[in-house]
Amino acid sequence: METIIETIHVNKAYNDQVTALADVNFAVGKGEFVALLGRSGSGKSTLLNILGGLDAPTSGEVHIGGRRVDFSDRKALIALRRGSIGFVFQSFNLIPALTAQENVEYPLLFNYRDRAARAKRAADLLSLVGLADRAHHYPREMSGGEQQRVAIARALVGDPLIVLADEPTGNLDSRTRDGIFELMRQVNRERETTFLLVTHERELGRRTDRTIELLDGSVVS
Amino acid sequence: MIARLVEYLVVSARQVTRKRMRVFLTALGIAIGVAAVVGTVSLGEGIRYQAVEAIKEQSDLTLIEATADIRGGAIQFITPAKIDELDAIPHAAASSAVVREAYATKRQTYLEVVGIDPGGIENVIRPKYLKGEPLATGSRQAVLGHDIAETLQRYEGVRLGDTIPILVRRYDENGMPVDEEVDFTLVGVLQERDDAFDQVMLIDRGVAQELRGDDTTFDGVLIRIDSPDAVFAVVDDVKTLGLTAEGAFQQIESVNRLMDVVVLILAFFAGVSLIVGALMIVNTMVMSVFERTREIGITMAIGASPGDVVHLILAECLYIGLIGGVLGDLLGVAFSGVINTFGRPFIVAQLGDTFSTFSDGDITLITPELLVIGMTIAIALSLVSGLYPALKASHLNPVTAIRTGV
Ligand SMILES: Nc1ncnc2c1ncn2[C@@H]1O[C@H](COP(=O)(O)OP(=O)(O)OP(=O)(O)O)[C@@H](O)[C@H]1O
Ligand SMILES: [Mg+2]
Repeated sequence: METIIETIHVNKAYNDQVTALADVNFAVGKGEFVALLGRSGSGKSTLLNILGGLDAPTSGEVHIGGRRVDFSDRKALIALRRGSIGFVFQSFNLIPALTAQENVEYPLLFNYRDRAARAKRAADLLSLVGLADRAHHYPREMSGGEQQRVAIARALVGDPLIVLADEPTGNLDSRTRDGIFELMRQVNRERETTFLLVTHERELGRRTDRTIELLDGSVVS
Repeated sequence: MIARLVEYLVVSARQVTRKRMRVFLTALGIAIGVAAVVGTVSLGEGIRYQAVEAIKEQSDLTLIEATADIRGGAIQFITPAKIDELDAIPHAAASSAVVREAYATKRQTYLEVVGIDPGGIENVIRPKYLKGEPLATGSRQAVLGHDIAETLQRYEGVRLGDTIPILVRRYDENGMPVDEEVDFTLVGVLQERDDAFDQVMLIDRGVAQELRGDDTTFDGVLIRIDSPDAVFAVVDDVKTLGLTAEGAFQQIESVNRLMDVVVLILAFFAGVSLIVGALMIVNTMVMSVFERTREIGITMAIGASPGDVVHLILAECLYIGLIGGVLGDLLGVAFSGVINTFGRPFIVAQLGDTFSTFSDGDITLITPELLVIGMTIAIALSLVSGLYPALKASHLNPVTAIRTGV
């Protein structure tokens, strides 16, 4: 299986005092659905941000799609986020001033696709997440679960290699949570998009291909 | 590039319409500054317009005189060749070369003398005669301007038909001045013109040249221009020939020079209120960026570059500027109307005698250019004010913005 994410001796320290990540080594294959588990403060978000090029490691190498990420090249990091990565955050993911449809289109604005193509693609993805009829609703008019579905559609709109989801179900009740989880699973199977899902719910972890567990910044399993 | 700008404007329009009240109030801040500038400048422009109109009405604008000038250390003489070139200037309807002399009466009244071809008087000066008749070519006759005629009559008892003994200064072979007495007959007196010709004694050019002992050089060329609108174009053409132009148009030039300064000072003081408007934009946008810290972080996470963020924020400012500009122009027109209504009686009382046109015209003038300037100020100011908030937003660290932002 083709390796799509690889970290080699990744360390991240804040102000030489807090060690958020200590010698993290792992690989994720193309199309895998991986859960990233660990207690609060174990470094899950830090790791995700580094993989998405939002943050830079103190030392170590990150390879995405077979290419080493140059954290000193800001343009390359922006290109990485535009072309290869889709982000989903825990909550309040969406731009309040924009409708569901516009939120999904938003990343493409920075990719400079033509307007009609953008609208078409956004509409397709809204259908995929089951919200075609809510296209013109604003985030405040939607439930938390619906908002997260829109966020997933937005993460997928640029056709990324990898979706990095940081506790996307953290603020949802268990039934909604399962719905969102199944949606991601379905996308993962149908499109072979690689998913790295941060959660601290072991029960969800059991329903993924594989789990990676962090403890105090190190991979323990 | 333009297409992308439009895209940013579409997205920013959504942000702006979400906070209508705040955007409106901020735009109003800019609008008040723009209105102050538009209103006060319209007063300056109105007064300028009225003053220029008054000059046009009261003086003989289309008559100018081209005279010799020193250019690059060399005097440009009025030669026959130059006269031909002057005649060829578009809109120069008629011209006549003149010689200028200073004579005096026996009782020492100074006489400014213009020697001109009698045909030129009729075609170029186009005088109206109060009494008497035009000069006859080749004879020692004089036509007096209104004021000098009055002076001579009052102090020397000179009347139409009288012979006036006049002292003409000449120089002998040793360069010593010799005053020769020459008799001129007063054949005509001109009506009042409110220009330099009121003080002038007109004589036949041939006679003047003969008395001077030189019939090859001229001191100037009087030019009649066919339309008041062409005056400044002809003046420019005269200047390109290396000559100087004089005439009533110079009054307009000095009014314009004066009003340029007045308008600039008015605009400057009115413009101070723009600073308040600019600070309001800075405040509104800094607040807006702060409130949307997390949103901006997420925008960057999903692929926006710092440059994209700058453009998005500036596009929002552009809306504030557009709204401020439109409101400002509208308020400015209203303000100008108020100045006109309440300020006019005062101005008419002060200047009504000097500028008769004030009593039946507006003292303020709104030109399309002024409205465009108002709009431009608003937009430019909003973009400049937005720069700091926009750069602040683009320098946010997405990780901390997402972690800590609301
Ligand atoms: N900017 C920062 N400065 C200093 N320490 C930081 C900073 N960001 C994160 N940390 C520290 O790094 C460690 C890892 O943080 P991180 O947010 O990755 O944990 P997490 O596993 O995502 O926790 P949670 O489950 O609560 O989201 C924590 O100890 C945290 O305090
Ligand atoms: Mg976290």
